[in-house]
Amino acid sequence: MGGSYEYGEIPISLDSEGDFIDDEYVFKYSWHAKALAITLASGSLGEWTLDESRHARECLPPKDYKNFSYYERWLASLVNLLVNKKIVSLKEIIRFSKLVDDKNSQNYLNKSLKLDKRAWLSQNVKKDLSIGSSSSRKINIKPAFKKGDLVRTVLKNPNTIQGGHTRLPSYAMGKKGVVTKYRGIHVFPDKNAHSFGEKPLPLYTIEFNFSELWPSENESSHDIICLDLWEPYFKKQT
Amino acid sequence: MGKVKNNNHHNHHSLLPSDPELRVKTIESLLLSKGLIDPDSIEEIIDLYENKIGPQNGAKVIAKAWTDNEFKKRLITNATSAIAELGFTGRQGENIIVVENTEKIHNIIVCTLCSCYPWPVLGIPPSWYKSDEYRARTVREPRKVLEEFGLKIDSNKIIKVWDSTSELRYLVLPQRPNNTERLNEEELSKLVTRNSMIGTGLPKVYK
Repeated sequence: MGGSYEYGEIPISLDSEGDFIDDEYVFKYSWHAKALAITLASGSLGEWTLDESRHARECLPPKDYKNFSYYERWLASLVNLLVNKKIVSLKEIIRFSKLVDDKNSQNYLNKSLKLDKRAWLSQNVKKDLSIGSSSSRKINIKPAFKKGDLVRTVLKNPNTIQGGHTRLPSYAMGKKGVVTKYRGIHVFPDKNAHSFGEKPLPLYTIEFNFSELWPSENESSHDIICLDLWEPYFKKQT
Repeated sequence: MGKVKNNNHHNHHSLLPSDPELRVKTIESLLLSKGLIDPDSIEEIIDLYENKIGPQNGAKVIAKAWTDNEFKKRLITNATSAIAELGFTGRQGENIIVVENTEKIHNIIVCTLCSCYPWPVLGIPPSWYKSDEYRARTVREPRKVLEEFGLKIDSNKIIKVWDSTSELRYLVLPQRPNNTERLNEEELSKLVTRNSMIGTGLPKVYK
């Protein structure tokens, strides 16, 4: 997505003075709020990692990804995860789709009186959200790079799995940059998104010049893009 | 009903109703019927992000940094722990980095891969931040993007675009507006806009 040429103006508006109008609701529709909350509550069942859920969104059929709004993408990938992890079945999806579609029926409102032991209890929600789950790991790996090192990113998706998840954006593949900060050891999404475990690795912030990333663009060439990249994403410049 | 076949693991969602509201209702009622979600938890999550966790938190952090130099130093060196002093911690903000705007540098935050954003200080991202337009263009033509927000950045300034590719989350520390020496922390926090903490805007002008 980053750098793609197919997109137009940002969907915002300015007032007559040329100032940004902040008319944003946290949730524009109540189903947006529900989609977010159900996604978070389902994630807390512990059946998939955050990286897996990101990858599930990336794996939506391109046509759906393009046509769906933001929370529709969340919903679609949530259903795919729920089915693929065998938490719900396709038969159940079909049955409940019919139930809610039937205006005369209120059957779908029947909720279980007993909560599954994995369910996220309301008394834990606030506390758990205020803790979160850090990707930082205190393990003994010596970082191979340091501030000031000149590096070049790899030419293609560094994930050895075909079409696998990676955080190296395609616009920054095969580009020269400089290490500006070592950020510690962090869970490696390329593995964690595919059930291979966390496999934590050193993470760095790397700066790229605009002229390196976009040689044919005419915006100011002294501007900079900073990316957080794991060690397997780049090599020493030679 | 016989065995349902659907061999594409990424296409199960096509079985859902077409109206997104009904799609949510389908998933919600199915999960409720199986006891997999606690309905009170759903209400609690929505209430937290609708009413309690939002850019008003970040504004307090910025106003404190403008008035307390020691806090500002801690904020630049370890933002996560400095921000935790004000009680803002947790999901999607476990590792926060604060980047400071100066006379020479203007910072702007984006996530080209999805929509990563520092939730404990800014809440749920606004829809434009999640839009494909913002995600696609900010890393290629940030100056044009900023002009659409009504912001023209001097050509002598360096623009630094931070693409949130890891679990580090970024917050911009904007420059304190002129003529605000007499304002206290609370008054200053009212000048801090959400966009000024993302880099697509500046704090409000004080007259």
